[in-house]
Amino acid sequence: MVLFKKIADWLEVRLGLRDLVDRELTGYLLPRNINAWYSLGSILLFIFALQVVTGILLLIYYVPDADRAFRSVTTIMNEVPFGWLIRMCHAVGSNMMVLILLFHMLSVLFMGSYKSPREMNWLSGFILLNLVMAVSLTGYLLPWSQLSFWATTVATNSVGTIPVVGGRLVEFLRGGTLVGPATLGRFFALHVAVIPLTIAALVGLHLFLLERIGVSTPPFGMDDTRNAWRGERFEYEGHPGGIPFFPNYLLQDLTSIAIYLAFFFLVVFFDPYLFFPKDAFLPANPFQTPAHIKPEWYFLANYQTLKIFPSEFVGLAVQGMAMTFLALLPFVDRGKEKHPLKRPLFLACSVGGILLWLGLTIWGHYS
Amino acid sequence: MLRATRATVILFLILMVPALAPAQEEIVCISCHGTLPGKLGEPVKLWKGSIHAENGIACPSCHGGDPRDMANAMKPERGFLGAPKETDIPAFCGRCHIGVEKDYLQSAHGKALGMGGPTCVTCHGNHLVVRASLDIINEKTCSQCHGFERARIIREAMAQTESHIVAIDAGINRYKGMGIDTEKLEKGLFAVRNRFHTLFHNVNVEMVKNEAVGINADLGKLDSTLAKIAEDLDRRKIIGAGAVGLALLAALILYLLKRSYDREE
Repeated sequence: MVLFKKIADWLEVRLGLRDLVDRELTGYLLPRNINAWYSLGSILLFIFALQVVTGILLLIYYVPDADRAFRSVTTIMNEVPFGWLIRMCHAVGSNMMVLILLFHMLSVLFMGSYKSPREMNWLSGFILLNLVMAVSLTGYLLPWSQLSFWATTVATNSVGTIPVVGGRLVEFLRGGTLVGPATLGRFFALHVAVIPLTIAALVGLHLFLLERIGVSTPPFGMDDTRNAWRGERFEYEGHPGGIPFFPNYLLQDLTSIAIYLAFFFLVVFFDPYLFFPKDAFLPANPFQTPAHIKPEWYFLANYQTLKIFPSEFVGLAVQGMAMTFLALLPFVDRGKEKHPLKRPLFLACSVGGILLWLGLTIWGHYS
Repeated sequence: MLRATRATVILFLILMVPALAPAQEEIVCISCHGTLPGKLGEPVKLWKGSIHAENGIACPSCHGGDPRDMANAMKPERGFLGAPKETDIPAFCGRCHIGVEKDYLQSAHGKALGMGGPTCVTCHGNHLVVRASLDIINEKTCSQCHGFERARIIREAMAQTESHIVAIDAGINRYKGMGIDTEKLEKGLFAVRNRFHTLFHNVNVEMVKNEAVGINADLGKLDSTLAKIAEDLDRRKIIGAGAVGLALLAALILYLLKRSYDREE
């Protein structure tokens, strides 16, 4: 303990450590009625870190070449010590990231935390959602299996319906007219460098905005659940008399991460093949189209939407409009009320939207 | 105007494409015979369901000819062999299935070639050739020439080993679907299965029984490998259960710690 104090004193005179700890940790107060949903962001940060670590470990043995990629993944799964565990953690983790992200988004929606002055936080989060989808899509191709190859063919084909630039866009994404070695090269660069760095930067912005503006107050357990922001000038939303982030809410974050880990390990060790149809373990064959190729579960709604409309362009446009609406939600929903039960129109639309998405996903799975 | 026309054309092309994936480049044999009615078109339909088609073995592999030149595809100078005469069938198939041809020719079946005896096609078909199994030895096929009794004896002698092979095959496929590298196992089973199935071509029940001993020993080795894989997978599950338990325990401890701090507040 004496040594610990000596180190703390050394850092104090160089960094003003005690003041930093007081401001950012023990003195950083959160609303008294904060709930466990607010810890989903920390779980996402943890998942992202795990993806980066497992991704770097995979990089040691993975070969981003069309002739050797599949074989290198087989080597990782069968010959590299604990390679199967690293690979499965990475694959299952990518699905978990999307799942937790959707829950995080829903919790922000239902608690009205996207409302003014937090529009930029919502927008940065929305961009992060798209980046996570993009990193999942690009990562899907890397094992160069039948599933990888044909799912990427279908996904990149859909972009071709955009008028005028569609054809060029498809070629740009693929590095050629068909999915091939050039596609693997650019998807690899996107997956391991461009997108993760962009995600990290946007997460930084997202957290900066959270800290700058202050944590929003949940609309539960309060008489007045309206948004108090007046918009005349910048106002940090402090919570005097609130609970300290350290150690109280940090312990909540860690508890949530531990529960997530339990669920994560359950899937990794007992049924990681939930996300692996048999085509995931056959090497890519450009001359043999599998009978049924379906995208991952989080793209099934998009896939089914494209199937519903006679024109793929219309299907794509409808989805584009829905996503644009979601992105601009803080500018559309300018109501002061935050409690979901006191916002009947919002509740109807959001529950309807969730049911629609679930319905399309289930339909997409069975169609 | 040009942009709108181009967009319309692209849209039209997209709507007309039945599948979203690019089609395999078709050989001229298929693109011609595939559209013909009756007997001329039937081989293509049958072939598409065959094990030959599954493994990329198409018309020119057996019949020769030029698969890329529609005008000259069936010219003898381009290597076209046409359909073989009955007595040439074993040699036709035997260009690839060498050992089987040899066994067949030495057998009672082979000695009856051209005199009413069966050829490869009698049991295996010509275009709808499927993966060989004991189902090929059946009363309908065998009793075309003689009573089923002698074929039934051989089939029974092979039945147990065949079900062992089928069980190992199912095990390999299950592990393949888990990312386990089953290449060596698949090759091993392929070799043993071929050795076993070609035994029938001798139509000699004593030979089948004698050879089955060695084949069963080889299948035993494959079984041991599969058992080791099963053991590894079980061990992973035990470690997994431990990891889940530890995570839940950590969650409980952290939650209780949080509660104690919350009470202090």
